[in-house]
Amino acid sequence: MKTLFRPAPLALTVAALMSAGCANTTSPDAADSQPATKASVVEHYADVAHAGYEDALITAKALNKATDRLISDPTEANMKAAKEAWLAARVPYQQTEVFRFGNAIVDDWEGQLNAWPLDEGLIDYVQADDYQYELGNAGATANIIGSNSINVGGETLDVTNLTPELLANLNEIGGSEANVATGYHAIEFLLWGQDLQGFEAGNGERPVTDYATGADCTNGSCERRGEYLDAVTDLLVSDLEWMAAQWAPNASDNYRSQLMNADANEGVQKMLFGMGSLSLGELAGERMKVALEANSYEDEHDCFSDNTHNSHYYNGQGIQNVYTGDYRRVDGSLVSGPSLSDLVAQANPELDARLNAQLEASMDALGMMKAKAESSQNPMQFDMMIAPGNAKGASIVNGAIMALVEQTGSIEQAARQLGLEALSPDDAGHAF
Amino acid sequence: MTRLTLTFLLASSVAVTPLMAATANNADGATVEYRKQWHSDILTGYQNLATQGQTLASQAASYCQTPSPEGFEQSKQAWLEAFLAWQQVRFVDFGPVEHRNRAWQFQFWPDPKNLVARKASYLLKEGAPITPEKISESGVAVQGFPMAEYLLYDQAFNGSDSALPADHTCKLLVEVTRHIADNGQSLANDWKGFQANYLGSDQYTDTTIRSAMAGLEILEERRLATPMGLRGNGKRSVYSADAWRSETSLAAMGASVQGLKQSFLPAFSELLAERKQPDLAEQIAQQFDEVLANFPELERPMAPLLADDSAYKLLQSLYIDITQLTSLVNDRAAVELGVVRGFNSSDGD
Repeated sequence: MKTLFRPAPLALTVAALMSAGCANTTSPDAADSQPATKASVVEHYADVAHAGYEDALITAKALNKATDRLISDPTEANMKAAKEAWLAARVPYQQTEVFRFGNAIVDDWEGQLNAWPLDEGLIDYVQADDYQYELGNAGATANIIGSNSINVGGETLDVTNLTPELLANLNEIGGSEANVATGYHAIEFLLWGQDLQGFEAGNGERPVTDYATGADCTNGSCERRGEYLDAVTDLLVSDLEWMAAQWAPNASDNYRSQLMNADANEGVQKMLFGMGSLSLGELAGERMKVALEANSYEDEHDCFSDNTHNSHYYNGQGIQNVYTGDYRRVDGSLVSGPSLSDLVAQANPELDARLNAQLEASMDALGMMKAKAESSQNPMQFDMMIAPGNAKGASIVNGAIMALVEQTGSIEQAARQLGLEALSPDDAGHAF
Repeated sequence: MTRLTLTFLLASSVAVTPLMAATANNADGATVEYRKQWHSDILTGYQNLATQGQTLASQAASYCQTPSPEGFEQSKQAWLEAFLAWQQVRFVDFGPVEHRNRAWQFQFWPDPKNLVARKASYLLKEGAPITPEKISESGVAVQGFPMAEYLLYDQAFNGSDSALPADHTCKLLVEVTRHIADNGQSLANDWKGFQANYLGSDQYTDTTIRSAMAGLEILEERRLATPMGLRGNGKRSVYSADAWRSETSLAAMGASVQGLKQSFLPAFSELLAERKQPDLAEQIAQQFDEVLANFPELERPMAPLLADDSAYKLLQSLYIDITQLTSLVNDRAAVELGVVRGFNSSDGD
């Protein structure tokens, strides 16, 4: 078996095309009554993605309404409601991250929604002596809210009108990935503020008066802060509308139709590639191991709100969803259909059972992290777990890492079992 | 942003690879001879790291006992020698170097958020005694070459009240270099102890080849293409390179290629020759020399080469040479030997 294979950044390679030919799109009804095929599994994958992005959109609209209320009536209650809406919006969105890896259309788009870590001094005031920004980032202290024009690396920009388009164009200004002007984490910062607690309990403490009018306004530029929050939440909604439409059924010119018209093996590769990449390199590696081994709360994912445990938990849930084909929607209904699990079980029931058990074990480990962080007695949040010398915290994080590492091994085996060889990394952009 | 030094080595533990399949018909452990050679060549590299680490620790201790400008320069030189010794064996991403994240302990990188500076400031401000235990519990950003480099080379830091030979800073330098030396010594010892295991399992042949492949890939993509602005957002930035404070990013690349040539290539060439690929083995050996011919001319700071378009050409020709080497090893040779990669830590964003 000689595989024409190049390592990163090139594509997945199909060594042996085991299944017969192309994906003829089957209707969900027909698929329900027949054994799962690669084509029906890929179609259901698109259904799960569509439901996930619809849920992300529904909760983003609720967030947009809540922030509109906060801006027009900045009370503690409205601040609290806006924060709760943000937390709720993260639940479905984090489950969609598994679609990023392998689907270039998602990966190219998601930076505007979920880029991190960010140098928040680009957006608003920060306490300078406890603010570490990306080396060489000329925009790290630009403070868009604080003035009508900013200078980044010698370039002066008019930022008087804080429109969604303007903010989108400010992403990665000056060539730095840490210049994130939009998305969930920008909104998170606008609601919670800078987390100055380090490894201690507690998160950002932005006062609601940062949105007050007149003399009550704290930290200046309250009106512009409100305009920023308004624009950035509007942008989130329109971005999610676009992505939900890409996965909608019965359209002839969206991403889903491309996926359905391609070889079903490509779709199955994307599914496994997304599961493995998120499990190992991204979630276990970048989001947990780095933060833990360097005791770096700067590498904490949702650092302003201390919601990192949920981001990790729902990332893991998204991986399991893709394998089992089950997705619990925000309204409580269950989406289910032909799954990767069905396909693997047809070929190797033992492997299917093992991978299902490993996915369950990962959810248990991530669930323990979530439970500890949300415990009513002595809660230990992710940034406390990674503190130097916290052996108990480290063992919780390590437990989750090891569970994810184990499931990745079986994901690779599942790929081989289904006739897909060499799931090499960084495929984005090469498949379509 | 991804740290490729983190390797879980999944593929090696789950795959029955073609290389092993091909040797299964031969007498037991057909590739054991190559692993003997690799084990010995890598041990030489690790022992050099252990020795240079000891020299660094002694030099730092003696400088801090009796500070002098000469002692400061000698400490920098000792840091560089030890750092380059690490670069030579940096590609090995399996075995004892995985124990307690030793690779990260030696070199936590990349560090876009400047965690090294933050940790140094925290440790020096805190005023708590700097002990070996304190270093051990302070995380990988404190424990290795980048921290010692920060203390010795960082311009802003060197202009501050905490600059060497300030008492607390000296203690930090002495303990960090001691930690590096101890790690180097343990790594060399553990590698010796790993011998039976390594020789006894055919899958380590693939694992060793994959580690060299990953080392070359990191060299090409992360250590060179990224600061050159050929990847990601297209911005040239020396801060994306490692060792920018000491201006030794390029010298370190040269050392890594030299290390692969010394510790990986000999057994690899023989393996290729035995697989009826002597021409390819010869091409790869020549390409190593092509890359190394860029040095020592390129043992110079990278920042000025990024700032000047005509000087940038020097980087471009190094890049082309390394790309060709990577392509020969990772594409052609790996395909001939049937070595495939699974998921690794670089799969994130």
